[in-house]
Amino acid sequence: MLYRVIDAAELPLLVSAFMQQYEVVAPVKRGRSYVFDAIEHPEDMVLDYPTTSASLKKYFLPPKETLMRFNAQTNRVAEHTLEVPPRVIFGAHACDINAINRLDQVFRDGTYNDPYYCARRDATLIVGISCTPADSCFCHLWDADEARFGYDLFLQDIGDRFLVSISSVEAANILESACNPREATDQDRIDFRHATRRRQASFNPGIPDIQDVAMLMDAFHKDDFWEELGSRCLSCSACAAVCPTCFCFDLQDRLSPDGKQGERYRVWDACTSPQFAQVAGGHNFRPEGRERVRHRMYHKLNGFLANHDRMLCVGCGRCVKACKADINPVKVLEFFKQKGADDASAA
Amino acid sequence: MTTTELSGIGVRGQGRPARVVVASFASCFGCQLQITNIEQHLMDVLGQIDLVYWQLTDSTPMPEEFDIAVIEGAVTTEQAESQLKELRSKAKAIIAIGSCAVTGGVPGMVSRDFYERPSQVYPKVPHACGKMITPRPVSAIVNVDFETRCCPIDPYDFVVMLQRAIYGSNKLATTRTLCSDCKRNETSCFFEDGTLCLGLVTSAGCGARCVNLGRPCLGCAGLSPSANLDSARQCCERYGVDARAFDERLQLFNQTNPAVEDSDR
Repeated sequence: MLYRVIDAAELPLLVSAFMQQYEVVAPVKRGRSYVFDAIEHPEDMVLDYPTTSASLKKYFLPPKETLMRFNAQTNRVAEHTLEVPPRVIFGAHACDINAINRLDQVFRDGTYNDPYYCARRDATLIVGISCTPADSCFCHLWDADEARFGYDLFLQDIGDRFLVSISSVEAANILESACNPREATDQDRIDFRHATRRRQASFNPGIPDIQDVAMLMDAFHKDDFWEELGSRCLSCSACAAVCPTCFCFDLQDRLSPDGKQGERYRVWDACTSPQFAQVAGGHNFRPEGRERVRHRMYHKLNGFLANHDRMLCVGCGRCVKACKADINPVKVLEFFKQKGADDASAA
Repeated sequence: MTTTELSGIGVRGQGRPARVVVASFASCFGCQLQITNIEQHLMDVLGQIDLVYWQLTDSTPMPEEFDIAVIEGAVTTEQAESQLKELRSKAKAIIAIGSCAVTGGVPGMVSRDFYERPSQVYPKVPHACGKMITPRPVSAIVNVDFETRCCPIDPYDFVVMLQRAIYGSNKLATTRTLCSDCKRNETSCFFEDGTLCLGLVTSAGCGARCVNLGRPCLGCAGLSPSANLDSARQCCERYGVDARAFDERLQLFNQTNPAVEDSDR
């Protein structure tokens, strides 16, 4: 890995340089929260933003995406071109980069690649930025507070400068042409260590740090806790919509108004949706909220780990805010903490 | 009652376009009118069907034979109830359009203690009112094959349902609620500043149109079959919204829903 330092004042130059060749999306203020959106000027973005309300997955797995078109009269596949603009995501937090790395494991690095996802992923550069954890952040519990790969540049805020980790030639060339990157000094390294410690000390201490979560998920599989959690699920799928790693989708067809042409598209789906596990013949494998909520938490905190050696949850805390019924992984951690305390007092 | 006799098969395949009637019960006729707002596609849509009767534009009697009945409005009289049953007996597919037909809608607002109401309005109930019965949605009386929700309908949604009736479809109606649409749209949640919104329990599908325009959901799409009213009331309290206001708001479009009738009495 190559490290260089640039002045904070140079940042708009870097963004402008990207704008010459790419669509730049960055965090902007919208309503009461922040969202990633295309910007036209560097000053439109807000880099010291708390977690955005929705994640970056929309740029790789859009909420609705046409996969093919067909002629409904001849029943043959028609021409369809996927348009993928070259894009830079500027200002992604480490948790969100780690989330994209997990999506890569599913859509890009598996046995069968998803061509739509890969086309978007390959056309996208990612510039990460360090952050200060909000109250609902728990990325450090899943080792997702640091992005080790999956970005082109990563900017560590060290006061009036940024320590830039460089991991792609494409981005390095633009950095080189737009800014005046210099070698890191001892003072830069000291400031970087201080910034890292400040971040680590800023996490909400109220969120329990539980060891062996995946194992505990199995141990308490039949606990009444899941009924308590599941019975209040609103079946709205807000959790999955904001989750940076929920990647399930449904396939649907739609005809043009004249009924002659059709399109097949995919839309985000969610295992918390009551119909998700309904199969041909009408049987539903997870008819109850208890089963659905438990299944979702299992995939996040147990199942994915078994197959991919890391938690699917990155601790971004979006569901903590999005779920009006107060169902989220923090509640699961609190439950395990309570169980531990109960066991200790019983012993 | 939502079981369909079509079982995913459309009404086409008889060597002629599907014969369609559009009929209306208690409503403002706005959803029928809304169909014409598909404007540049209207001829494309009409080209796929044989529109044999349209109440909005037609004074001649409805023909005896047809394939699809598009029905707007809530059922509020005995006469309407028997007309609806007759429509069902003749139609291979019924499409209910708009809140009034799907949820009881605005006419359904007065369904509680209904029989006391006419005399509160009229000293002598006019003969023209017919023999009034408690307002109810189309699905409370006959099986409905397809529904186009909301007040008013989105004409494109209607065309999708019409095509499903013609060409066949085994697509399930979504049980998601509106909240997930707001998350996709990345709009701020009303509850975060203590404002009531019925998105918690209302069927998704409209794309959270009102919220996108800065107004909370009033529930015109009707309750999701998976609506969790008890939990929604707790959500309200958690965000400083009076749960009684939530129940009151439900009366606007969802008064005749058994889940609402049962739960807040």
